[in-house]
Parts: sequence; structure tokens; C-alpha cells
Amino acid sequence: MSWRDRWDRILPQLVIWPPLLISCTYVLAFSAWTVFVSFTRSTLLPEYSWAGWRNYTAMLASRNWHIAYTNLFIYSGCFVVLTMGIGLLLAVLIDQRIRGENIYRTIFLYPLAVSFVVTGTVWGWLLNPSLGVQKLMHDLGWTSFKFEWLIDRDMAIYTIVIAGVWQASGFAMALLLAGLRSVDSDLYKAAQIDGSGALRTYRRVIFPTIGPIFIAVMVMLLQFAIKTYDLVVALTAGGPGLASTLPTVVVYDFMFQRGELARGSAAAVMLLGSLAFVLVPYGIYRRWKRRSYA
Amino acid sequence: MTKISRRGLLAGTAALAAPGVHAQAVKPKVTVISQWSSGPSGAAMVALGQEFEKRGGVWEHDPVPGFTTEMMNKLRAQIIAGDPPAASQLKGPEIAAWSKIAPVVDLDATVAAAGYEAVVPAELVRLSKPHGHWVALPIQAYRINSLFLSKKAADTVGVTKLPATWAEFNAIAEKMKAAGITPVANGGIRWDDGMKWEIALCGISPEAYRKAIMELDEKTLKGPEVLAAFRQCRKLAAWSDLGTSGQDYTPFVPRFIKGEMGMLLMGDWAAGVYKRSGFAVSDYIVGPAPSDDGKIVFDLNSDEFMFWQRPEPEFQAGQKLLAQIVMGKELGPLFCQITGSIPVRSDTDLSAAGFTAQQREASHAMGEAMKAGRIVLSLAHNMAQTNQITAAMIDVLTEFVHDDRISAEEGQKRLVDAVDNVR
Amino acid sequence: MRNRLNRLAIHATLIAFAAFYLVPLLVVLLNSVRSTEDINHAGVIGLPHGFVWSNFSDTWSHYCIAQHCSGIQPYFWNSLQMVVPATILSTALGALNGYSLSLWRFRGDGWVFGIVTLGVFLPEQMRLVPWVIVLRDLNLFNTISGLVLVHVIQGISFTTLFCRNYYVSIPPDLLKAARIDGAGFFRIFWRIVLPLSPPILIVTVIWQFTGIWNEYLYGVTFSAGEHQPITAALIALSARLTDAPQYGEQSAAVLMAAAPTLLVYLFGGRYFVRGLAAGAVK
Repeated sequence: MSWRDRWDRILPQLVIWPPLLISCTYVLAFSAWTVFVSFTRSTLLPEYSWAGWRNYTAMLASRNWHIAYTNLFIYSGCFVVLTMGIGLLLAVLIDQRIRGENIYRTIFLYPLAVSFVVTGTVWGWLLNPSLGVQKLMHDLGWTSFKFEWLIDRDMAIYTIVIAGVWQASGFAMALLLAGLRSVDSDLYKAAQIDGSGALRTYRRVIFPTIGPIFIAVMVMLLQFAIKTYDLVVALTAGGPGLASTLPTVVVYDFMFQRGELARGSAAAVMLLGSLAFVLVPYGIYRRWKRRSYA
Repeated sequence: MTKISRRGLLAGTAALAAPGVHAQAVKPKVTVISQWSSGPSGAAMVALGQEFEKRGGVWEHDPVPGFTTEMMNKLRAQIIAGDPPAASQLKGPEIAAWSKIAPVVDLDATVAAAGYEAVVPAELVRLSKPHGHWVALPIQAYRINSLFLSKKAADTVGVTKLPATWAEFNAIAEKMKAAGITPVANGGIRWDDGMKWEIALCGISPEAYRKAIMELDEKTLKGPEVLAAFRQCRKLAAWSDLGTSGQDYTPFVPRFIKGEMGMLLMGDWAAGVYKRSGFAVSDYIVGPAPSDDGKIVFDLNSDEFMFWQRPEPEFQAGQKLLAQIVMGKELGPLFCQITGSIPVRSDTDLSAAGFTAQQREASHAMGEAMKAGRIVLSLAHNMAQTNQITAAMIDVLTEFVHDDRISAEEGQKRLVDAVDNVR
Repeated sequence: MRNRLNRLAIHATLIAFAAFYLVPLLVVLLNSVRSTEDINHAGVIGLPHGFVWSNFSDTWSHYCIAQHCSGIQPYFWNSLQMVVPATILSTALGALNGYSLSLWRFRGDGWVFGIVTLGVFLPEQMRLVPWVIVLRDLNLFNTISGLVLVHVIQGISFTTLFCRNYYVSIPPDLLKAARIDGAGFFRIFWRIVLPLSPPILIVTVIWQFTGIWNEYLYGVTFSAGEHQPITAALIALSARLTDAPQYGEQSAAVLMAAAPTLLVYLFGGRYFVRGLAAGAVK
């Protein structure tokens, strides 16, 4: 083999492997470190003394974790469903070749540009009964208007859903609109020749085609939902009381506020572990899909 | 003839020799981490820095925007990275906890030379000497259990002076409620909720507060004073505006001044907030919060500088210089006039022009409480216990305040359980 | 007639939603031209009682953070200095990774892709202390390069995900033909893949730029003093314990800080949609 050929074979390897390796190492090493720390007695600083399962049992027994974990399911479920639903609705509406599409698209997309802290702060003003929309309505004369979810123990988590949906539904809309646009026009024409109305066309023809996009949107929305932190802190501060706290808030609280690195790491590990609920079915689905096409 | 130990001699000479030998050689330098990036606290740090540079030092203050947790994060990161600041802001039992994780400077000699220990409240001395040696120096103090009464609201219900006991407070609150005024103007975030409860307890019985909160004595935690504090706190929560949940008290300041809200139980920094919001001292009446046995109670909050060991001579010189400024009599006028806090040294002359009447009253209260042994340390502001224990207790208190389905007995039980879990 | 009613209904719905999306922006815009006293007296939602334009100039160049009274302007440039290299690097590496994973198959590439993608889900709180240790060992603590490194490595997870999903839709015949012609790894990348990439590259650039620009936790912990990014300055303006909230200046600062990302979405919005179309179909 000539020198040139050997170089041609090696060079790609030199270029492919380093970034992939660094990326994999980063993910694996950081996760492993967190798992390791969760089994130690670390408080203010990481220390490497064994603590067994103590941190896990302590976190599982704490009210903070119970409320946060329940909230995670409520929040993720509502957030993903609503964001997806609104995104789909907006995408379908814009897809109707209306005038001013650019303007609408920009209006729906811009919230993505805003940081979570700002979103949480501004929505905190808007939804506060004494400072925001309710007060405005009262001042304008509509005194029976009530929107007190922000201060209601049971409903506070849904205010976070509102702010989260506001921020992310533009992203869902963009992805779904792109998907709608990429549907084969022949399919569309065939459906029209068959005489089906708009609704049926969508249901029978178009949605199944963009099925994979739904999955992709869901994955991205899920990672938004799991990592939600700044939004909660800025909007409700986890309150009233502990009612709207989420696992990332608990992780940060225990790790850094209370100086209990090990407990916080245990909470982080449990948070990531609950991802398995979603990732494993997704992995199975993809493998099944690949097999069924092969 | 007194025996001078050899070690003491060496230590003494080391402490004294260092400035002499090095002062001509290096410029004292100090890197400081704090959370005071803006507002009056930020301005006070700037003034402190100017004084430091006036005395020939190089001042590098690196404030971390955010709250104390972000500052502690940065501090932690610097320590892990092997580059601790020369001085950092810390307070309460955290001083003891943090002093164990990295080497800190032993300030005993410097403090003794300045005769500082005698003029500092005993509680602060105890916090600054966690293992028997001075490792931190207090900068300023605040009184947590202050009561602010809106003048307009007071006029509406015909009240002219502050309530002295909780019974009087409750009576005034009822009157205000009947007149359509929100009696309590506090906010609804964690430390505010904790404060409402602790002010209630220290007014009911400072001894019970000391035993239950500062010593975590189980019997007192289960006792009648704590239960009474929960009951009073339930009243305070019911008298607050629902919209304050999750908010600081500051957005509601205009309503307080206008007379729509009546009384604020807050640390005395609120006076500074009123001033910077453009309101006058005549808009409100300020004084100590109710104390049921009529005697003075002082709920203390203070900030300190801790000094981390650095091998470089310029940092060591800088730490000495900073220590001298902080311990000196001029820190009061320099720092506290800007922040509105109380100078730590009990021999500070507060009749100087820059101090407000409220500062004088609070400082006098601190002095009297010091003499009578009725100073307690704030729970909600991380003075009484480490952050870990404090957070567990505040979890219970903040849930209690925002959930009126929790009875006072249930709240007390949860508090006892929480303390047991973290003890 | 039916058609026109339909159109009307569509527009009405869209306008209703648009209002929902625009209200927060409107509130911030209004507050940025009100004086803080006005907001403190009349509430955070309301029309200005007299326009105040100084909020913008004050916050930009005069506001005092620590002992530097130069407003948020220096922090703005710091952010730019950090975000631009990080975005470019993470996009480039993501494209390379995506290319490698989708078009140069090797054993275990599915696993590698899975692990890299998993990085997308890691919450930032748990990565903080490990990054401190890594940066310390690399001697990059408290430097902008350190921050760039952190964001690049974290960003690779996203950019690889986007690019790889996009590249798998490149027709394999194109590649076969090129290989028959004797093109190697780089020639194919340069001549075939890269020219097809602009849609997805724009998506990754927009995504990374926004994500890194708005990031707060690492920006504050891994930088110091006047080298901090703009998110730190924003927090300095709003987090107060012993001071009255400065809503007017806060709103002006928020608008100025969000201007770059808003502009990015304003001008890049259509490409965002186009790029996502191709990238997400798998």
C-alpha cells in the first residue's frame, strides 16, 4: 500500500475519533462521577468516603423530593402535550398559505430567544393576582375576574406549564410546520382526488407521514422539561411553600444551598434514572422501526 | 513574674514581625468575594475598597451576582481550583463549616492586639471563633425583629404607637382588617416565611427561642412556646395578602406607604429600601417587634469576612490591613452609614451625622440586649444553624405559612421531625 | 363564502395566539420606558405616566456593578467574545461528528451516537463541580477560554444530534458515486456534504447562540469580575435583598441583553424552519 493510501486511511480516523471520544468521555465521566459522589458523604466539597445507600434513602424520604418528583410527571406531561398540541395547531393554521405567514412565524418563534430567567420573571408579574393581570382586570372594572393559580398550592405547578408552553411551543410549531411542508405533494393530491375533506386529509395522510417528527419534537421537549430550573426559580421560587418545586430545583438546593453534595447527586441520579421511563421505550421503538423497514 | 511560653513568644513575634519585615517590601493586596454587587451594599464595598487603597493596598473585589448560594458556589469553585480568595463574605455557623474545608488564617494575635473581642457582642464572638480561634471578623449587624407601621394605615385605625406585645399587635391587626387594610405587609418567599415565625417566637419567649432554635432542644421544640409561635404565625399568614406568595416584600412597598397595608415585620434594612423608593421617614413608624414580657429582645443577623490562608506575602499583608480596617472604629461610619446597618463595635459613636435615628435606636437596643443576655440569632438568615438544618426547618415553616390546612400542632410536629432527621 | 369564513376563523385564532405570545414582550417594552418610581407606584403592568428614555442609556453605560460604573456594556462584549467562538466551534465539531456517524459507519456507532445524545439530558447543576475540577486541571479556571471550552463540549451533544439526523437523509447514491470517483473522507465532506449543510448549520448556529448567550450558572461560576457575561449583569440588576426593585432599568437591560438573540430569530426564523424540516424527519 502506498504512503498516500495509508495516509488516506489514517487521517479520517484521526479526525473522526477525537471529538467523538471527547464527547463520549464527557458524558460518561461526568455521569459516573455524579453516581460515585452520590454514594459518598460529601457535604460542602466532594469527599470520597463511602456512605452506602444513605443519601438515596434520605432523599426518597424527604418531602421536597416527593413533591418535586410528582410535579415532574405533572409538569412534563402537561408541558409536552400542550406544547405539541398548540404547536401542531399553529403549524396547521400557518400551513394554509395565509398572508402574513412570516410575521406570525416570527411572533411564535421569538419566545425561544428569551432566557428562562426573564420568562419566569415576566410571567411572575403577569400571573400575580396583586400585581398582574387580575389586578389590571379589577382596575378596569371587571372585579369578578379571578386568576389565582400562582398562589394556589395545587395549581402553582400549572403556571409553570403556562410559561413553559409560551416559551417552547414556537419550537414545536417550527418543527411540525417544516414537517408539514415536506410532505410529498403527490400524496396530498391523491387524497384530494379521493375527495376527502381537509380534516380527513390531515388525519389519514399527513399526520402519519410526519409521525417521526412528533417523536423528535417530544424528545427535545422532554429535555426542556427535565432541565427546567431557572423558570421555576424566577416564576414561583418553588412556592407557595414547596408546591411547585421540581427535581432540578431540589438538586441545586441540596447540592449548593444546603451544602450536601452527596444528597444532591443522589437526587440528580434519580432524576436521570427516571429518563429511562422514556428513553427505553423510544429506543425499542426505533429498533422496531428499523427492523420493520429492513 | 508571668511565664511567657516559648510558643506564645514565637507566635507573637511572628505576628508582629511580619508587618515590620514585609511592609516595605510588598503592597498589601486582597481579593474579596461577596454577593454585594450593586445597591447600597455594593456601594459600601466600594467605599471599603477606597479606604483600603488609601492605606496603600490593592483592592480586588469580585462580587457574584445573585444571592448567597451563588456566592458560595463561586467560593467553593475557587477553593476546589486551589485559588481561594484572600477574604470572603460568610456568616453564622457556616463559618465553622467552611473553616474546616480549607486552611483559614488564625486572627487571634491581630484581634488581641486591637482589643477587639471586648467590644463585640458575645454571640458574634462565638460564631467567629468556631474552634477557639478567631477566623472571621464581623462587619455589620442587623436587627431582624423590627416592626414598621405605616403612618397612613395607623391614622386610619387610630393607632399612634407601636404595639408592645403580640396581643396588642393582634388587636391592631383586627382593627386594620375591619377597615379594609391588609394588616401584614410581608412577602411570601422562604426566608420571609421563616422570619415571620421566628419573630413571633422570640417575642413570645427568647429563652424558648434559644433552646429550641439555637440548641435544638427537643423538649422545647415540643413545648408550648413553639406551639404558640405557630399559632401566631398562622395569624400573620392569614393577615397577609395572598398575592405576596413567591414574591419579595419590596413590590408591595408602595401599597404599604399608601396605607393599604399596615405592618411589616422585617429586618431594619427595610428602612433603606423605603428611602431609595423615594419615601420619607415620616411615612412610617419603626421600632422593635412585639415582646410579650415587655423586655428587650434582639434577633441578630450579621455578615462577616473570613480570611483564607494564602502563601503569598502580599496577600498576607493585605489580610492584616483589611482586618485592621474592619476592626477599627471607623468601619461604622464608613460602611454602615451607607448600608443602614448597625456597627458591630459597641463603642461606636452613633451621634455622628451620617447615622439615622433608626440606626441609633437599633444599636442602643443591641447594646441593652447584649447586657441583659437577650440576643438571639436569626434562623431564617442562617445565623442560628448551618444551611442544612436551617433549610430543613424553613421547608416546614414555608409550607405552614402557605397551607392553612396545616394546623399549628401539625406544624410543630413536622418541625420536630425535620430537626430529628437532620440532627 | 365558506372559504372566507374559514380564512377568518384561521386568522382570528392566529391573532388570539399572537396576542398571548406578545403580551410579555409588550409589558417589558412598556416598563423599559417608565421610570422606576412610576412602576413602583402604579404597578408592573400599566401605561407609562410620562416616557423615560434614560433607562436604556443609564443601564448601557452608567449603571454601577461592583466598582465599575460602566453599565452592562462591557458584559455585553464579554458575552459576544465567549459566544461566537463557542458557537462556531461546537457547530463545526457537530457537523464533523454528524458526518462521521451517519456516512462513515463503524462498529458501535449507534452506541456512540446514543451516548453523545444522552449529554443533551444532563442537568447543568450536576455538571458544575466536575467542570470545576476539569478546568482546574487544565488551568483554565476563571478564563473566557475555559467558558468557551465548557460550552463547546456541552454543545457538541446538541449539534451532533441535529447534524447527524440531517446527514442520514443524504442519498447514499451520491456518496457511492463520489467514492467510485476516488474521493476520500475529506473530499466528500468538502465537495458534497458541506454544500448541502447550510440549513442544518443555521439551525445549530441559532440554537447554540441562543443557548450559550442566555446561560447563567456557568457564566457566573467560571468567570470573574468584569469578565462576566451579560447574564451575570442582568442578575446583578435584579437580585436585591436590601434595595428597592429597579423595574424600569431591569426591563431596559433585559431588552438590550435579549436583542442579539431576538435579532437572530427575526432574521433566521425562516431558515430555522427550513433546516429543521430536513433535520428532524428521522
